[in-house]
Amino acid sequence: MPEKTYLEAIREALRGEMLRDERVFLFGEDIGRYGGAFGATYGLLDEFGEERVWETPISEAAIVGAATGAAMVGMRPVAEMMFMDFILLGMEQLVNQAAKARYMFGGKATVPMVIRMPGGSGTGAAAQHSQSLESLLIHIPGIKVVNPSTPYDAKGLLLSSIRDPNPICFVEHKLLYKTKGEVPDGEYTIPLGVADIKREGRDITVVAANIMVPRTLAAAERLAEEGIEVEVVDPRTLRPLDVDTIRDSVRKTGRLLVVHEAVKTGGWAGEVIASVAESPTFDFIDGPIRRLAGADVPIPYNRELELAAVPQEEDIEREIRAIVENQY
Amino acid sequence: MPIQFIMPKFDMDQETATVASWYKADGEQVELDEPVLSVETDKVAIDVPAPATGKLVRITAQVGDIVPVTTVIAYILEKGDTEADLPPAEAPKEQQVDIQPAKPAAAKPGAAVSATPVAMRMAQEHGVDLADVNPDGSKVTKADVENYLSRLATVSTGRVQVRATPAARRIAGEKGINLTEVPGSGPRGRVQADDVLQFNPALQPASVKSADRRQAKLVPLVGMRKTIAQKMQVSSQTIPHINISVDVEVSGMLAKRSKINEANLREGEDKVSVTAILVRVVAWALERNQFINASLIDESIHLWRDVNIGVAAAIEEGLIVPVIHHANQRSLSEINADIQLLAERARTGQLSLQDVQGGTFTISNLGMFGVKNFTAIVNPPQSAILAVGKVRKEFIPGIDDRPEVADLMNLTISADHRIVDGAVAAKFLADIERGLENLDMILF
Repeated sequence: MPEKTYLEAIREALRGEMLRDERVFLFGEDIGRYGGAFGATYGLLDEFGEERVWETPISEAAIVGAATGAAMVGMRPVAEMMFMDFILLGMEQLVNQAAKARYMFGGKATVPMVIRMPGGSGTGAAAQHSQSLESLLIHIPGIKVVNPSTPYDAKGLLLSSIRDPNPICFVEHKLLYKTKGEVPDGEYTIPLGVADIKREGRDITVVAANIMVPRTLAAAERLAEEGIEVEVVDPRTLRPLDVDTIRDSVRKTGRLLVVHEAVKTGGWAGEVIASVAESPTFDFIDGPIRRLAGADVPIPYNRELELAAVPQEEDIEREIRAIVENQY
Repeated sequence: MPIQFIMPKFDMDQETATVASWYKADGEQVELDEPVLSVETDKVAIDVPAPATGKLVRITAQVGDIVPVTTVIAYILEKGDTEADLPPAEAPKEQQVDIQPAKPAAAKPGAAVSATPVAMRMAQEHGVDLADVNPDGSKVTKADVENYLSRLATVSTGRVQVRATPAARRIAGEKGINLTEVPGSGPRGRVQADDVLQFNPALQPASVKSADRRQAKLVPLVGMRKTIAQKMQVSSQTIPHINISVDVEVSGMLAKRSKINEANLREGEDKVSVTAILVRVVAWALERNQFINASLIDESIHLWRDVNIGVAAAIEEGLIVPVIHHANQRSLSEINADIQLLAERARTGQLSLQDVQGGTFTISNLGMFGVKNFTAIVNPPQSAILAVGKVRKEFIPGIDDRPEVADLMNLTISADHRIVDGAVAAKFLADIERGLENLDMILF
C-alpha cells in the first residue's frame, strides 16, 4: 500500500469526491492559488477551476452561512476554516442554523456540509491560532465532530463526512499534516461513530484522538518494554462517540485514561469517562479513572511553555505508569 | 428545653474519658457547677460539674464506660421541663471508643485551638470542629485534618467502610468473599481486583494465629499507654536526637545536702532530695540556656519565659510527668515540698490537669534502680530531656595522678538537634556542673 502524508490523504479525498460528485465544491480563505494555509487544496484550483474552488472574503460567518445555504439547496460544500479558532466567528451559522435546520424543518431539509478546520498547538502560532475547540462542538446536537489521527483515517473519514447528510466539523491537526502512513489509492470509507483500537493491551485503556494517538502509541511502545500493555482506543469521531468499544475495552483492562490536547475543564474526556462510569461497566473499574489534558490556560507563544501546556509523550508515559502501578 | 449533659473535653488531644463514678443518681436534683460525676482521662482524674440546675435524668454512661468526648451522657430537666421534652431515646449503641462525628453546638470546649490557616480553612469547609482533631504537634495542621476526615469516613454510621475498587467489589460479590478480610494492595490499602482474585481465606491470619503457639495476654493500647506510645513514636520518628553525656563530680553537692539536711532535721523539716537539688540547679541553668527551654512549633522556635520542669515518675499505669512550675523562681525547700506533694498525688491518682501541663523541660532519674547512665527520648514539643544516673564512687586521677575516690553522677542530655546544637547542649551540661559545684551561688 502506498505511503502518503495526512495532508495528501485529505487532498486525495477532496479530489476524489470532486471527481465522483459534481455537487462537491470547496471554498475558504486563500484555498485557491495559495492552496490553503497548510496546502490541503493545493493544485485543485488548476484542476477544477474557479467554479468549484472559491476564494472567499475574510468572513467565517459568511463562509459557514453560505455552506449551510448551499447544502440545504442540494450542494455538497466543503468549506475550510484557516484555523479552527476562527469557527467561533461562524458559530451562529453553525449552531443556530446548520445544526438546527433538519430538526426545525421536520426532516424535509438536510445540511450535507463539511467544515474542515486545523486545530491544535505545537507550531508557535500562539493562543488565538492553536486551540482545540472540539469540546465546544460536541456539545451541539445536530452536528458531527470528526477527529482523525492517521492519514488512512483522514481519507476514509473525509469521504464519509462529505457523503453524510449532516453538518460535519472535520478537525485536522496541524502537526499531523506531515505524518505519513499507508493510504490506499482508491476510494474507501470509514463509518462515522466507529472507534478504532490502535493498539491492543490488557493493562489499561487509553482513549486518545488526533495528535494524542501517535503520542500515546509511542508511550505505549516504551511501556511495553516494562511489561505494561496499553490498549489505545481512538474514537475517531467524538460525536457520535463509540461508547461501546470504549466500554468493552475498559471491561477488559479495568482502567481508563483519557488523553486530549483540549484543556481539561469541560473537555471531552469528561464525556467519555461519564459514559463509562454511568454504565454497568462501572463494576469493572479497578482504580480511579483519570484525565490527562491540556492545562487550563491559553496556549502560550513561548516554545517551552507551549510544550508544557499540552500532554507530551513523556507525560502520557508517566501518567499511564502511575495508574497501572496504583499510585492513585 | 432539657439541657444536654456531655462528656467534656479537658485536654486538647483527649478523645475519650472513662466514667469513674457518679456522685448523683438518675432523678436526683443537681445545682449548677456542682460535681456530678468523676471521670478519668489519659492523664488525670477529674470531677465534672453540672452544666445547669435541675433534675438529672437519663444517664447513659455507666461506671467503667469509655465515652468519646462531647457524647451526651445525661440530660438535666430545668424548671418546667418534663421527661416528654427529652429527645427520643436511641437504641443502645455498641460501645464506641473512637471519635464521634456528630457534634452538638454546645460541645465547644473553652480553649481556643491553635491551627494553621490551611487547617482552619479545611476544617471550615468540612464542618469539622478543630477541637476534635487530635494534632500530631502542638498545632493542628492540614495533615491532621486529613487524617481526622479519613477516620471519620471509616467510623461514620458505625460500620466499617472498605476501600475497594468497583471491580474488586463485583468480584468479591461473585465469589462470596468478605471484602473486609481482603488485604488491599492499592493506595491507602484500597482493595484491587487482583487482591480479591488472589485472596485465599484459608491462608488468612486465622491459620497464622493457630500456627503461632506463643501464648499472650492481650492488653489493649488505651489511655495513658496509648498517649505515651503515640508521643514517643512521633518524637523518635520526627525529632533528630543528639545525646551528650557527662560525668559530674558531686562530692561537694552531697556534702552541702548533708549540711542542709542536718539543719532541717534540727528544725523538724523534711530532708531535701537529690532530685530537688537537681531541679533547682537545672532551672538555674535553663535560665542561661534558652534554646534548651524551648519548643520548635511550625516555623518558629518558642523560647519559653517560664521555666517549668517536669520530673518523670513511674506509676503502675505507665509514666507520668508532674511539673514544677516556675522552678527558677522557687527556693530549694519549696521545690522539695512540691516534689513530695506531686509524688503523693501521682501515687494516689489525684494529680490535676494543672499538675501535668505546661512543662518546658523534663528530668528523668533512674538512679534509684542502680542505673549508671542512659538516654531518654525528648517529650515533644519540649526540645530536651535530662537523663540522670545514680551517684557512684569511682577512682579518678588526683594530684600527681594518684587515684582518688570521687562521687560521680552521669548526666545525659537528649536534645532536638533541629534547634539545639551539640555545643549548646554541652554548654548547658557544663552550666549544670558549675551549678552543682557552686550550690551556694544558687541556693537561697
